[in-house]
Amino acid sequence: MRSLAALGIALAAATAAAQDEVYLKVTTPGLSRVVIAVPDFTLRPGTDPAAASTLLGTLRADLGETAVIGLVSPENAKLVVVDPANPTLTRQRWRAVGAQFLLDGNLAGAGSQLVLEARLWDLTSGEVAFSRRFQGTIALAATMAHTLANELVHLFTGRPGPFLSRIAFVSDRTGAKELWVMRWDGSEEQQLTRYNSIALAPAWSPDGEWLAFTSFLRGSPQLFILRPTQEYLKVLSALPGVNSSPSFSPDGKSVAFATGADGVTDIFVVPAAGGPPERLTHTLGISTQPAWSPNGRQIAFTSNAGGSPQLYIMDAEGTNLRRLTFEDTYADEAAWAPDGITLAYTTRVGDRFQIATLDLRTGARTVIPGPGNNESPCWSPDGTVLAFVSDRTGSRQIFITDPTGHPRQITTRGNNIQPAWVAQVQ
Amino acid sequence: MTTPQCGRLLAGVLLGVVLLAPACAHRQAVIAPEPQPATAPAVTAPPSPGQTSTTVAPEPTITPAENPEGEIKSAELPADIEQLNKAGYLKDAFFDTSKSELRPDARDALAGDAAWLKQHPSVKITIEGHCDERNTEEYNLALGWRRANAAKDYLVSLGVPASQIATISYGEERPFATCHDESCWWQNRRDHLVITAR
Repeated sequence: MRSLAALGIALAAATAAAQDEVYLKVTTPGLSRVVIAVPDFTLRPGTDPAAASTLLGTLRADLGETAVIGLVSPENAKLVVVDPANPTLTRQRWRAVGAQFLLDGNLAGAGSQLVLEARLWDLTSGEVAFSRRFQGTIALAATMAHTLANELVHLFTGRPGPFLSRIAFVSDRTGAKELWVMRWDGSEEQQLTRYNSIALAPAWSPDGEWLAFTSFLRGSPQLFILRPTQEYLKVLSALPGVNSSPSFSPDGKSVAFATGADGVTDIFVVPAAGGPPERLTHTLGISTQPAWSPNGRQIAFTSNAGGSPQLYIMDAEGTNLRRLTFEDTYADEAAWAPDGITLAYTTRVGDRFQIATLDLRTGARTVIPGPGNNESPCWSPDGTVLAFVSDRTGSRQIFITDPTGHPRQITTRGNNIQPAWVAQVQ
Repeated sequence: MTTPQCGRLLAGVLLGVVLLAPACAHRQAVIAPEPQPATAPAVTAPPSPGQTSTTVAPEPTITPAENPEGEIKSAELPADIEQLNKAGYLKDAFFDTSKSELRPDARDALAGDAAWLKQHPSVKITIEGHCDERNTEEYNLALGWRRANAAKDYLVSLGVPASQIATISYGEERPFATCHDESCWWQNRRDHLVITAR
């Protein structure tokens, strides 16, 4: 933020000042953005210009989406006079318009091949902070950009970037509830199931290889596991009951889910590779929506054992059961942040659903109010962003919100619910 | 949906009146065809074993009820399962918000269902548990399961063989009415009894 203030003084330009205010508004205190300049790449002869344009456009769009990286505004970038004979002077000019880092890219290629050499200059020290070489076909230009953007986010946050991440969800746009998957920003929607039945509750394996979900495909609800890249489907549980709400253990070896005979619903665990399910809870009413903690040691879930649906937690073996929520009239759909400290969940305020968070160290509860009903929170793999479902526009749609709480609608067709976010699909 | 009429008829059920005619049709408020005349009275007159021995003048109206197996009456039921369901022999049970306990009106409806099922032992039913939209999808799936089994348990307690009854939960996935207020929600908080075999 200091460098942005300096920028305002150095340029004293109306455009620059306006740009500053935009940055300040979307940046919460204590969460500073790193400002990176991404000028046009140098193209060696033979490089496919369309692929180069895709790569640079995708990279700038990705970096512009992050909460941790800010791009030098186009207005300020125009003020920089590039001196090819004196790169050091050019870098100083980028620093003068507020850039802390400069991404220097060289593209080469022949035929369908594309090679990107990227260097990130730390403009404060004058050193190269990061250097990478990517090689692939021109068809992978966007993937190359996403991969580079992910590495930059990782460099500045220590967490994986979201740019190759996918969100699985349930959509009724075809007339039946089917599983779909899309890129994290809502683009590239793909239909995964065509069962013309009811599909619910998608949950990714941590490696993005498998998707567990509930389907009424064979009449009564059963728990299935699907390999999206290979159209491979198998049944994980056909026990009596609802067979719903799968959640993978962090090692990917087990799936917690909810089912039970005779009207009771309890938490069970089944090997992801198939095998006999083991019952973890012995409640008399409803225990459902298990959510495995990131360290694998605990499972949060919803139970109505106390009268209304509330969040509970237990060790992964079913021991040390205790209640987590006391201030809510309704608490459901627990979702662990990757840090293992914060739970997002669905609460009820008045007669509407709202997203809330619970800090497990302090017990502090925070409601994130929004228009309409807001439910089914789901963390981005890096834990900086929440996806959730809202009916604020009249139909039920998936939104993502940045750490400042600013929401963006990413689905439009039909009703779209139950987002499940994974870093990368294998 | 002819919601208000449906509501008034339900109020009748609340008073303990077992209606002879198909009362509150299920999804569509279709005026149901009259059941076979011989079948209808049977609903109110369970078989009485002592009846046959001492009466000088046999009651002329009671005929099918004397068949303990119920086979003849099954034959008189509409052959088509869909028609059978539309005829409204079985009444649904309705619930309070987020509850799976049977209300008095639900018990009355199910008592009538139990009597009819015992007279038609070849009939098989599925009890579908349904919910309004005011819980999350997956909680509602569990709630609907509880509702369906609450009705099954009650029917079994009234003497209906458990083998006649299957249960399933649809949660909030198959609403009967789709608006977003109580005028629709009460209709969706129900056990819907569906005949699957005659």
